[in-house]
Amino acid sequence: MATRLSFIGFVWKNLGRRRLRTFLTLGGIGMAIGAFVGLVGFSNSFEQAWMRIYSASGTDIAVVQQTFLNTSLDESATDTIRSLPMVAQAAPMIYNVMDLTPEVNALAYGWKANSYEFQSLHLLSGRPFHDGQPEVMLGDMLAETLHKTTGDTLQIEGTPFKICAVYHGPSALEAGAVILPLDQLQQLSSLQGKVSTIHVKLRPAPAGVSEETYMKRAEAQIEAALPGLRAVPAEERASDNQFVKLAHASAWGTSSIALLIGVLGIANTMAMSVFERTKEIGILRALGWKRWQVLVLIQLEAVTLGIGGGCAGIVLGWCALKALAAIPQTANIVSASINIGLLAKALGIAVFAGLIAGALPAWRGAQLSPVEALRHD
Amino acid sequence: MTEIALEVRNLTKNYEQGQIEALRGVDLSIAEGEYLAITGPSGSGKSTLLHLLGGLDSPTGGEVLFKNEKLGNGVNLDTYRSRHVGFVFQAFHLMPTLCALENVQVPMLGVHSSASERADRAHRLLKELGMDHRSLQYPCQLSAGERQRVAIARALANAPEILLADEPTGNLDSVNSQRIMDILTTIQRQHGMTLIVVTHEDNIAQSAPRQIHMRDGKIERERI
Repeated sequence: MATRLSFIGFVWKNLGRRRLRTFLTLGGIGMAIGAFVGLVGFSNSFEQAWMRIYSASGTDIAVVQQTFLNTSLDESATDTIRSLPMVAQAAPMIYNVMDLTPEVNALAYGWKANSYEFQSLHLLSGRPFHDGQPEVMLGDMLAETLHKTTGDTLQIEGTPFKICAVYHGPSALEAGAVILPLDQLQQLSSLQGKVSTIHVKLRPAPAGVSEETYMKRAEAQIEAALPGLRAVPAEERASDNQFVKLAHASAWGTSSIALLIGVLGIANTMAMSVFERTKEIGILRALGWKRWQVLVLIQLEAVTLGIGGGCAGIVLGWCALKALAAIPQTANIVSASINIGLLAKALGIAVFAGLIAGALPAWRGAQLSPVEALRHD
Repeated sequence: MTEIALEVRNLTKNYEQGQIEALRGVDLSIAEGEYLAITGPSGSGKSTLLHLLGGLDSPTGGEVLFKNEKLGNGVNLDTYRSRHVGFVFQAFHLMPTLCALENVQVPMLGVHSSASERADRAHRLLKELGMDHRSLQYPCQLSAGERQRVAIARALANAPEILLADEPTGNLDSVNSQRIMDILTTIQRQHGMTLIVVTHEDNIAQSAPRQIHMRDGKIERERI
């Protein structure tokens, strides 16, 4: 049976000529795409973890100012919100990152003792704290890290706090956190009378009114009652807070650098390949290949490297996420599953990287004069 | 009446901004189905003339006409090379990563035909040249004579009307040289092709019914 030569087969044979170089290039772009999948997958999981916090407690709306971390929202706004007819409950709170030991820092939440947010926590030992008391509740993950349990004392910024409970939360953002009375955290943070945000739980929507319309109405009502503040749906807040934004920015920033290195790797490989095969390109042109066919051949080789590296990178990134999902410290944040959107982005970036990297070598190859290329040694 | 396949009018080719004059006003007509040998010493311009006849390069002055149409204007050079001309080189120029059968299919990738048609035609051509038993061998596994036969099969892939051979026996011993020339002349007769061979071997040149001898970029003499 005759061996058939196809365009793609020709591409494949050309890439197979320098196997080591091809594998090293695949490794480079694979690492870059792997970093992208791992880091962006992690930041996406982080966003999902925030979403779990809101959904587990039943929060519908977060009332905030423009900034998230250093907000100076008045705690007194809570009463105004509670007085609104659509609001069932409102819980003021502070988020902060505190140094608990020289090695360990953790998210610290300041809640009121009667906050509805406690509904999402499962107490493993002890009792909830009382307002005004130097008491804290530790997430089980953080308790394990600090080797502390109920009844122990925890120093936070020089102030001793009694650990009154150990709890399990719906995500690592709570299981790895410390919760203390709002007034205590206000004092520690020098934010007396101030809060980071007020979480709002709405009354059920009346019959005949859609959830979306009801939510819009509630947002408008809160913003009208508290000029200058924003009422943000919980879902939007989960992806729009500074922590998540920082995670996304870090993931994309680091991945971009890795991808740039990957692109340069492919570009170098293709430039070397075109230089080494100058005479062969001349032969192809002498045999009647058009410039665009030479260009497509070289671009296809580059894109094949991109796709190959992309697939390897997706596997690599998935393995990294799987490993993170198996580690207790990150297990509640990281999901080992890769969604279709991330997969498509990773492959799209890999193809684009191949196209970009192959563009100049392909153009140079296509511009070669047949007779000059044939003279090349 | 025999038609003119290729015509060259006052053809000049300069290199290095005119410092080197490879061709100095060459006029030549080549009929369809003609076998022409071009001889001359190194640097006489015979390969340059062949490259211009094959559309591999563009002239500095003058024109090359294929069936009365100017190359580069009336006839696209890429199309001309892929459809109307086949090249045989002294150094064979086979793709090292492809087997003989695949090498013959390379020119056909540039034209519209199915993969099975390409493979079948390549197989037929190799068989015609007595190379079907070596069709799956790579160039490095073939002798010089076998490589040149594969190169001839490749030149015939798109059924060109003109076959251009640049020192086709330059890398072969006398036995293989004679064999390759027999193959080329047989193909020329059987297919009614125009065959133009550049050579500096007298015995090969003398096998051609028409010979031109070049010197210093001009046709010095012609023998019919």
